[in-house]
Amino acid sequence: MGTFVQLVVDGLSTGSIYAAIALAIVLVNQATGLINFAQGGMAVLAVYVAWVLTNEGVPLILAILASIVFSIVFGAVVERFLMRRFERGDPDTAVVVTIGLLTLITGVAGWLWSYNNQQFPSLFPLDTVQFLGVSVSIRSIGNTVVIIVVMGLLQALFVGTKLGLALRAVAINPESAAFSGLPVGRLLMVGWGLAAALGAVAGALVAPQLTLTPGMLDNALVYALAAVILGGLTSPVGVVVAAWIIGILENLAAVYVPFIGFDLKVAVPFILLFVVLVVRPQGLFGRKSVVRV
Amino acid sequence: MTLLELEGVTASYGPVQVLDGVSLSVPDNGAVGILGANGAGKTTTLRAISGTVKTGGRITFDGKDIRGLRPDQVAALGIAHVPEGRGTLGDLTVRENLRVGAYLRKDSKAIEQDIDYCLDLFPNLQERIRSNASALSGGEQQMLAVGRAIMSKPRLLLLDEASLGLAPSTAKNVYDAIRRLRVESGIAMVVVEQNANLAFTLVDSATVLEVGRNVLTGTSAELKGMDEIRRAYLGG
Amino acid sequence: MASASSVSSAPASSAPSAPPFRQRPWVRWALPLLLLVVLVVAPLVLSEGVNETLARIGVFAVAVLGLNVVMGYTGQVSLGQIFFLGVGAYVTAYGVQNDWNIVGVFALACLIPAVAGLLVALAAARLGGLAIAMVTIALPIVGVPLAKRLSEFTGGSQGLSARFAETPEWTGLYDDQWQLYVVLVIGGLVFVLTRALVRGKYGRAFAIVRGNENVASSMGISPYRYKVLAFTIASLIGGVSGFLYMLVIQYTSPETMSFGHSIELLAAMVIGGAGSIVGSLLGGAYYVLIPELTNQVDPNLTSLLQGAILLVVLFLLPGGLASLPRALTRGRRRTRVGRGPAATPSTPSSTTGSATAEPAPTERQGHA
Repeated sequence: MGTFVQLVVDGLSTGSIYAAIALAIVLVNQATGLINFAQGGMAVLAVYVAWVLTNEGVPLILAILASIVFSIVFGAVVERFLMRRFERGDPDTAVVVTIGLLTLITGVAGWLWSYNNQQFPSLFPLDTVQFLGVSVSIRSIGNTVVIIVVMGLLQALFVGTKLGLALRAVAINPESAAFSGLPVGRLLMVGWGLAAALGAVAGALVAPQLTLTPGMLDNALVYALAAVILGGLTSPVGVVVAAWIIGILENLAAVYVPFIGFDLKVAVPFILLFVVLVVRPQGLFGRKSVVRV
Repeated sequence: MTLLELEGVTASYGPVQVLDGVSLSVPDNGAVGILGANGAGKTTTLRAISGTVKTGGRITFDGKDIRGLRPDQVAALGIAHVPEGRGTLGDLTVRENLRVGAYLRKDSKAIEQDIDYCLDLFPNLQERIRSNASALSGGEQQMLAVGRAIMSKPRLLLLDEASLGLAPSTAKNVYDAIRRLRVESGIAMVVVEQNANLAFTLVDSATVLEVGRNVLTGTSAELKGMDEIRRAYLGG
Repeated sequence: MASASSVSSAPASSAPSAPPFRQRPWVRWALPLLLLVVLVVAPLVLSEGVNETLARIGVFAVAVLGLNVVMGYTGQVSLGQIFFLGVGAYVTAYGVQNDWNIVGVFALACLIPAVAGLLVALAAARLGGLAIAMVTIALPIVGVPLAKRLSEFTGGSQGLSARFAETPEWTGLYDDQWQLYVVLVIGGLVFVLTRALVRGKYGRAFAIVRGNENVASSMGISPYRYKVLAFTIASLIGGVSGFLYMLVIQYTSPETMSFGHSIELLAAMVIGGAGSIVGSLLGGAYYVLIPELTNQVDPNLTSLLQGAILLVVLFLLPGGLASLPRALTRGRRRTRVGRGPAATPSTPSSTTGSATAEPAPTERQGHA
């Protein structure tokens, strides 16, 4: 029982990381209609920025905050100068551009800081705490809480502020939003910046246990994409729930299903996907996807 | 005082030339109609004004050349475009749609008052204030679209086919409200309409477009009397 | 995502009298014949190193061609092509190690990946949108640990080697020449068959599905069915390329189907020319030659350069290298034919306003 609870809590923690990346993907998709395969890679770059700063003696919290600022700017720049041209065109082409971006970012990181695994300091202590008679890792709880808080903040932004309203309007109908004077281009940049920031937070939280390397979030990207498919591109809540389920299930499967074990955990989301899709082709929560004619 | 002036405006979509030298003049507080059959270039003329299509020729607003400006920049100058198809933001509520209309403004108290004014102008929206715009009927969405446009306190309103897809009584309601708006606020208007009868209840003058060119221009009184108009657009 | 047609179809000619150079009767026969002669003679005269490189280019040209079927021609981004190559290679290696009949091995190397591809497509194609991209990313990522795990079949992390390309005695050829010939024959056959496929009614259906799925359904062309078909064919061709991979490289391991290789293959396809037969050849050449070049400059720089090149191609030459001749002639023609001031594409890059305007014609379809 103790193991079970631990696995669930740890699964919630990793699931939260996937959820953050998945949300970033959904955010970008709602604003600009494309899937950003470089979302994880952009997050890793931000973590490297934080890492470099911590090596210079900057306190971890400040370094992470700086990396968040960096990723907001970086996300905005990527939207404006790289993706803008491909946003109104064929989404498949845009995806290939993001794949190119991923390769470039991985290459830059590898060139600047090598492909070796780097240690990244943990925001939370590595101890455990007693909960209902079971030992659970502080870090897992901490990660989950941080991500939930960040998601809550984003939600508050979107629903409660003028900027959030503007971002939503642009995502729904950019031309119509422009008729009301909304600076669509600038708002898209903000959207991408926010998504990148979300990724940066997730990256900083998970880097201590994965160790920092250019390809650190490649696997997480796969989980995040599975969560997006399962949750549906139109449902942020669905995506988060799907990510948590994936995180928990893969942990449980790794221990309780011998064939899968630790190395084939990554197959779990897709087995789950396969099963769900047979029943519900549009994912667990989503509406039928909007087809761009 | 001419508020809006179009001279020899051209526009094309790829190789297809849609506007071939269109001219238009809207005085301050005036209302001008653009009539014509489908494909004549009426909608494209409005899009030329609001900057959603690349154009040649001259377009001046308040003496300033606005050709080549982005749509949001044109909106910031005080031109509000209610597009064909209404452009309501479906996943936002009625209130949120109206708020979006006021995006460029900073006077929050006055914005609330203006929302109340919109709801007074369009009472149907009052009870749907918290519904998502996509749940509204066609007529209600049209009213919402006009409401959102006037929330920015524009000097010029571009109305594209406001009666499209609406039952005659609903269309009349919409036009009644717009007429009242015109009287109470003095907003200038360019009104694209296929239903010339309806248009003449609102506009002082009109121009008729055919294959991207003006073929007839005159006051409402003059045009209403002409045989061609009567036959082509007023049903006999 | 493709250039509208493969390079070998001649551009429309405005002169009614003399047919363009490429379509004159004797040219149509002479060029392929010349090509055939070159292909037969080349392995005999070229050095061993060059032959080996050409054989490897052939292997990956076939892999890229397969990817083109589902991605270039049918517009579905797939990150799984390398997985099918890997499966084909493993099947081949296993069969050879167990002394199965080589023809049977080849058949299995075609069939097993094809069946796998069919299953993946049946599930993923239902989802629409970018689901195939999002699902196929799992194939290399799950494939690598899976290959390590199923070590009785795959030799685990060590991989499998298999030599079966010793030249038969009667040909009197060296090994590298024999291998190149086999690659040319099998690869050439795949190319010819695929070319026939994409130029026929299936190819047209693929193009319609790529262009607009709603339009396709309204025409009675089921996007689902054709996506599944394209993906299965792509997987089959991937399996063939896996067989050829074992033939030439004689060793496979889980690393063969890594995520990195998957992206490199996709990049090679785009850079060579999406939706183009010639582009597939160029893509194969790119896949083999460029890493050798960049590794000589600085191995750490390889990923960076490859990403940069891909982005540059997407921006400047979306149709890939195969579209270079067409882009150059178009550039020349455009300066001659003057266009009016208003005839500009209606989606300027810095405004988002003209989204609903009718898209400008063919020029924009060069998007990869």
